[in-house]
Amino acid sequence: MTAEAGVGHRTSGRRQLASQIEAGRAGPARTLIALILTAVFIYPIYLVVLNAFKTQDAIYRYPGLPTLSLTWRNFVDVLTRPDGLFWTGLINSVQITVVGTLLSTVLAAMMAHYIVRSTGWFAKMLWVVIPLGVMIPPATTLLPLLRMMRDLGLIGSVFGLIVLYVAGSLPFGVLVFTGFMRTIPKELEEAAAMDGAGPVRTFWSIVFPLLRPAGASVVIFIAVGLWNDFITPLIILGPANGSTITVGMYRQISEHVSNYGAVFAYMVLATIPILVLFIFMQKHFVKGLLGGATKG
Amino acid sequence: MQMQNKYRLAPRNPLHVLLFAVPGAVLYAVFVLWPLLLALWSSFTDEDAYRLTTSFVGFDNYGRLFTDPAYLQTLRNTVILALICIVVPNALGLGIAVLLDRAGWAFNVMRAVFFIPVILSSVVVAVIWQQMLKDDGLINASLRAFGVADPPGWLSDPSLALYSVGWITAWQAVGTCVVLYLAGLQSIPKELLEAASIDGAGPVRRFRAVTWPLLAPSVTIMTVLSMIGGFKIYDQVKVMTNGGPGVGTTSTLAFDVVRTGIDAGAVGYGAAKAAAMFFMIAAISLLAIRVMRRREVDL
Repeated sequence: MTAEAGVGHRTSGRRQLASQIEAGRAGPARTLIALILTAVFIYPIYLVVLNAFKTQDAIYRYPGLPTLSLTWRNFVDVLTRPDGLFWTGLINSVQITVVGTLLSTVLAAMMAHYIVRSTGWFAKMLWVVIPLGVMIPPATTLLPLLRMMRDLGLIGSVFGLIVLYVAGSLPFGVLVFTGFMRTIPKELEEAAAMDGAGPVRTFWSIVFPLLRPAGASVVIFIAVGLWNDFITPLIILGPANGSTITVGMYRQISEHVSNYGAVFAYMVLATIPILVLFIFMQKHFVKGLLGGATKG
Repeated sequence: MQMQNKYRLAPRNPLHVLLFAVPGAVLYAVFVLWPLLLALWSSFTDEDAYRLTTSFVGFDNYGRLFTDPAYLQTLRNTVILALICIVVPNALGLGIAVLLDRAGWAFNVMRAVFFIPVILSSVVVAVIWQQMLKDDGLINASLRAFGVADPPGWLSDPSLALYSVGWITAWQAVGTCVVLYLAGLQSIPKELLEAASIDGAGPVRRFRAVTWPLLAPSVTIMTVLSMIGGFKIYDQVKVMTNGGPGVGTTSTLAFDVVRTGIDAGAVGYGAAKAAAMFFMIAAISLLAIRVMRRREVDL
């Protein structure tokens, strides 16, 4: 009796300890360590944002500290460059990212539908060949692509770059959509087909709306990838005027090695659009990351 | 019955193939597969941008690869970078995930902070760190302030620069690992951990006996993704070191392909390097998929 009570007491004591540990409340030591680590980790980004608002002189003298004389000067400099490096880059990047992402997402969804719903040899072949694409690093095909684009008259053209991106992003989209589409019951589509809807109508009114969760992940992944891509536009568009915002940043650095304020301001400005998109679609990004990762 | 027959016919509808599969397939064939085949083809030639004649040389370019000390150095650099990209972000990410696995708004904010670098362009990351790591950059200025007379040349010392490139790549990847491992940690049933602590297991023991084995699939996946990422490094090298200091001390496979095939105009040899890179990454990916499938069966 007493022994039992003792055991019971000890167990409940430990249980209490256990639930204290796992309840999710953090002790002050853990909070402090976490805060310090986070601050150290993000310090370089803090520096960039801070120094984007400082004069050249202040950056040199007090690189890590906020000064009293914060200024918009650097941002004005970047935005009013006579050659319009930032604005052409921004316009090109927005066009490339928006058109490229939407086209590749829609094409990938349609192709995934075909792969999942068709039983023919072509669908089987696609399912072997398309996933190969995620293994092809851009550097390996850039040489022949450069010549192809030259022959097609697409070198230095935004349209050409979009075409490359749509083709290049397709495998990733197809992989994600195919996995997701297998979970959508065919009965829904059968019902629509019964009602006389053709494949296009069935896809647009039944399947595509159901793909939204996966679609959001595909969109944000491709958009971030295209916005940030460096190697393809550097080689296909060249570093000259009329490049993308990311390549323009490279040019801003190589030209203005001494004007750090402007370089930092450019980086802040170039990151804002994709950061806004990311904040809106954050959940899907993380979900896509986890889904993609756990499904292999 | 009728319905099923009708449905089975629907995918055979020629419209379905034509509209759904053909446009993407054509684009993919022309702009992804065809260039890959072209690269393979020219890897067997001695094509050069500055010479008019091109002849077929068989496997000569590939033979040359393995006796070219510059290429072997590039290969070695890339393997070192891939190893850094595996070990550093995964170890840091796991530690930080365990540390941040708590409720509360402060912890939510901290998780988001670790994720910021993931969405940045690697060009931005390279520039930021270039400012930190250059000889008169912030890190060395701080070291001097603390009395270090001759701080290391993080980017100018040929024996250090490669590790600096590895570090910034790893820094950018930490956030992905944190998010993935946090999700892994949160999917572990609390009852298991409670049961373990009722049985008298301390925090270290609980981690080793419960958390770690259940996280293993996430670790495998992150290892593979990090390795492939490490093999593809280009931007950081182009922006921070341009392959230097010295000759090729931070050259990577991707950087070398562009430098040989485009900048130097050795199209054939560059294509052989590109093809070799593709085969290496494909081999790693296929091996990885096999390992992951086996793991899934085990669980």
